Amino acid sequence: MADHGYLRDDAQLRVRDLTVTYRRGARTFDAVGNVSLDVAKGETLGLVGESGSGKTTIGRAILRLLPKGNTTTSGSVIYKDRLLGGLAPAQMRAVRQEMQMIFQDPISSFNPRRKVVDIVGEGLEIQGIGRAERARRVDAALADVGMSRAMVEGRRANQFSGGQCQRLAIARALALDPELIVCDEPVASLDVSVQAHVINLLQDIRTNRQLALIFISHDLAVVRNVSDRVAVLYMGRLVEIGTNDAVYQRPAHPYTRTLLAAIPVPDATPRQIVPHERLEAPSQLAPPSGCRFRMRCPRADALCASAEPELRQMPHSQFAACHHPHDDAPPGAAR
Amino acid sequence: MSGARGAHPLLSVKGLTCSIRTPQARLSILTDIGFSLDHGTSLGIVGESGAGKSMLIKAIMGLAPRIAEITGTVRLDGTDLATLPEARKRSYLGRKVGMVFQNPTTSLNPFVKIGRQVAEASRLHLKLDRSAARTLATDLLRTVGIPDAAQCYDGFPHQFSGGMKQRIMIATALACAPELLIADEATTALDVTVQKEILDLLQSLQQNRRMSMILVTHNLGIVAGRTDEVIVLYGGRIAEMGRTEHLFRTPRHRYTAALLAAMPRMDQPPHSRLQTIPGAPPDLLRPEPGCPFAPRCGAADDRCRQTMPDMARSGDANHHFACHHPIPVDAAPALPSAQEGTRHG
Amino acid sequence: MSRPAVDTEALTAADPPARRRLPRMSLAEYFSFAFLALLIAAVLFADAIPGLIGPNFPYGDFSQPPNWSLNGILGTDPLGRSVLSRIIHGARATLTIVCVATAISLCFGLLIGMLAGYYRGILERIVDLFANTVASLPPILVLLALITATGPSVITMTLTLGFLEIGTYARIAKGGVISQNDRDYVLAARALGASDLRILTREILPNLFPTLAALMPPLMAGLIITEGSLSFLGYGIAAPAPSWGGMVADSTDLLSRFPLLMLGPILAIVLTVYALNTVGDYLSRRVDTRDRQL
Repeated sequence: MADHGYLRDDAQLRVRDLTVTYRRGARTFDAVGNVSLDVAKGETLGLVGESGSGKTTIGRAILRLLPKGNTTTSGSVIYKDRLLGGLAPAQMRAVRQEMQMIFQDPISSFNPRRKVVDIVGEGLEIQGIGRAERARRVDAALADVGMSRAMVEGRRANQFSGGQCQRLAIARALALDPELIVCDEPVASLDVSVQAHVINLLQDIRTNRQLALIFISHDLAVVRNVSDRVAVLYMGRLVEIGTNDAVYQRPAHPYTRTLLAAIPVPDATPRQIVPHERLEAPSQLAPPSGCRFRMRCPRADALCASAEPELRQMPHSQFAACHHPHDDAPPGAAR
Repeated sequence: MSGARGAHPLLSVKGLTCSIRTPQARLSILTDIGFSLDHGTSLGIVGESGAGKSMLIKAIMGLAPRIAEITGTVRLDGTDLATLPEARKRSYLGRKVGMVFQNPTTSLNPFVKIGRQVAEASRLHLKLDRSAARTLATDLLRTVGIPDAAQCYDGFPHQFSGGMKQRIMIATALACAPELLIADEATTALDVTVQKEILDLLQSLQQNRRMSMILVTHNLGIVAGRTDEVIVLYGGRIAEMGRTEHLFRTPRHRYTAALLAAMPRMDQPPHSRLQTIPGAPPDLLRPEPGCPFAPRCGAADDRCRQTMPDMARSGDANHHFACHHPIPVDAAPALPSAQEGTRHG
Repeated sequence: MSRPAVDTEALTAADPPARRRLPRMSLAEYFSFAFLALLIAAVLFADAIPGLIGPNFPYGDFSQPPNWSLNGILGTDPLGRSVLSRIIHGARATLTIVCVATAISLCFGLLIGMLAGYYRGILERIVDLFANTVASLPPILVLLALITATGPSVITMTLTLGFLEIGTYARIAKGGVISQNDRDYVLAARALGASDLRILTREILPNLFPTLAALMPPLMAGLIITEGSLSFLGYGIAAPAPSWGGMVADSTDLLSRFPLLMLGPILAIVLTVYALNTVGDYLSRRVDTRDRQL
């Protein structure tokens, strides 16, 4: 039985046993399997994983943005004690005001044929806010991201740089005064210098508005910078979750260690190449039996092949799903 | 850069300038680029978007669009490429240089077996017959880490993951045993663990085959500890270049230091404020006189804005930079102290 | 809490856009736009053109070749009527039919196409079935059959032409919607609480316009030819009302003796169809350019 001791019943957002399955023709594949986590008010949860980990799917499932046609979702998403799955469309629309999203490619998250200033105010218009109030809140949101109406008046998304567009996307989310924002790889497509601006901006906004953030990213250095707690995902499974320090300083799961070791750190130390024995990433349509990471794991054995590990509490406070977790700090870990 | 030790360098670029003339204006993409690359050394070319790194590679390889006006000399293994007629230049480059691009999916033909695609270049340039080419291709697939290489020879691209496809591309690039391998943002589209595997592969191939290699990337972390030398581009010019560990240990150009400081680091505590670079990349349509980084540089003065700095040498090391007010050598390092010892894979 | 310190130095005002470079217009394209503009103006203001005689008024000698007078610039027809006047009034009839029919096809086609593309499933299959079935019907034969059964009528022709083209527009709309369904801006709108209707009208529909604008002119050209063919056969616009097809028919009888009679209507049809196709090409080049810039 999995140990879910890390879950808090008073958290603002609670996700319980979330499972999402996609149907591709006759075959199904589970993008997310039995993931449970929470986000407390004002907390930043980093969701870390690579392609196929399910992190984007979780973000969209939380906001109920998954396509209806070929997707099956089970489990529950509870926001402020309201079960989101059971809400009528009008009620869901009201909840949407409080939970917003920022996307990876800022320019394509804006309709190329519409004016950006209209889009920033779109959420308010949908909620039925009057024109004057709308204008006031749009101006306030633009100011919060360091832009002004004069800068954006009459322009469309393709007239702005990536960084400016991402600021506008943040303004669009902020205009509604949300309490939670899901950031899906918000800085992945930005240059390093622009990345720093946007990260600082998100941190400022978060502090000033007591925002909860779910920060989805594959970039561990960025996640280290912004998160309070970190959840590591692999092939749709939650493999490790804990505080920022616990996960980065004493990662228990071998996959977390693999991720940390892979970060390209810009310093002067030469890289030693250790030959990799296990390379092939298995297909998601036919995941391996037992632990999904075992094909790439240096610690895997027969037990790993026969039984999928469940989350258990580790000595240093985080939870990990592994039969043979690490106990010590890896060489060169974050301080 | 490293002086020619008797023999000529493998690649020598002098005064390379590239501009594009449109009806509206003249875009200067690259200005006065000069460097050399010895046999068996690896070089990283780092620049953010708009710095000109892709155009630099295209200009060297003769792949630049027709409207680009290119001046300067490019010598490959002593031969000035501009003196070769088009067809000869293409076959010369095809034999001596292998290229790996960013997106393996669009570089591979989805309808042709991958083994054949790997073998193709060797049949063309080395004139191998079919069975010799097949043996070569299978060996290459094995070298790049494709499991069951002999069976995978008959596979099609869609059957492989992104990382595997990139390995196949590397095998394709190696088919003619090139002396130079250019990887242009080859790992940008890959997951970070796969990226590490590919970079390790490239590094070991380079060392085992004593090939030269150029790694083009926007991420300084990728070249750190992996290349012998590195060039940092900004606004179409070389800002700083030299031995990689010198550059990371004591960056001299203000842009390099600012770039390093803007990257979030594992040894910073969570929620630390990142150092940002104010302003925006230079406008190619209206190049300013003087240093392209001046508008954004905290240490810039009128001299920086009016006069382009010359390339200066840092001490007597193989380390050059173009900055009127470089970071002093004995200043506190821009980076927190690097972890001692090597980083294990 | 105070506002975050805004790093305004980080942002330069977005430069005014480099005038979005429209593809250069060739001479043929200039001509086509000009011709269509002229045609539309003539049709709208036919009655106000000073000195232009009515289309049914036999004012001159029969079958005269073109001369340098306004009414005689294209000659006279076998009944002594001004060819130019008949061309212009014929254009009025033809263009009205074609525009109304296109409007019908566009409205219904967009409606069912967008719904099919957005909701997929069985709706998509029904719309596909409808579009494919209708597309396999040869328009002229259908119209001939209908008109033989119910008598010649401009209304019948217009409604039928409109109906037969619904499938074409539905398919275009469906394709355009499907390609946008997974785009981030649609997802962003949904995240803001937009209803399906709002997404379809505010987000998706505007992006269909460029493609539609590029495809409409050639389709309209096709309708002109269909209508012209029917009038040529005598099943379209009834005499004595002028129609291009009818004028061609009249002139073929006298082809050996008065070959220039055919000049007017043929020129009208050919130039109009050419202009519409060229304008359509130009607009679709504009769509490509815009997409590439994005």
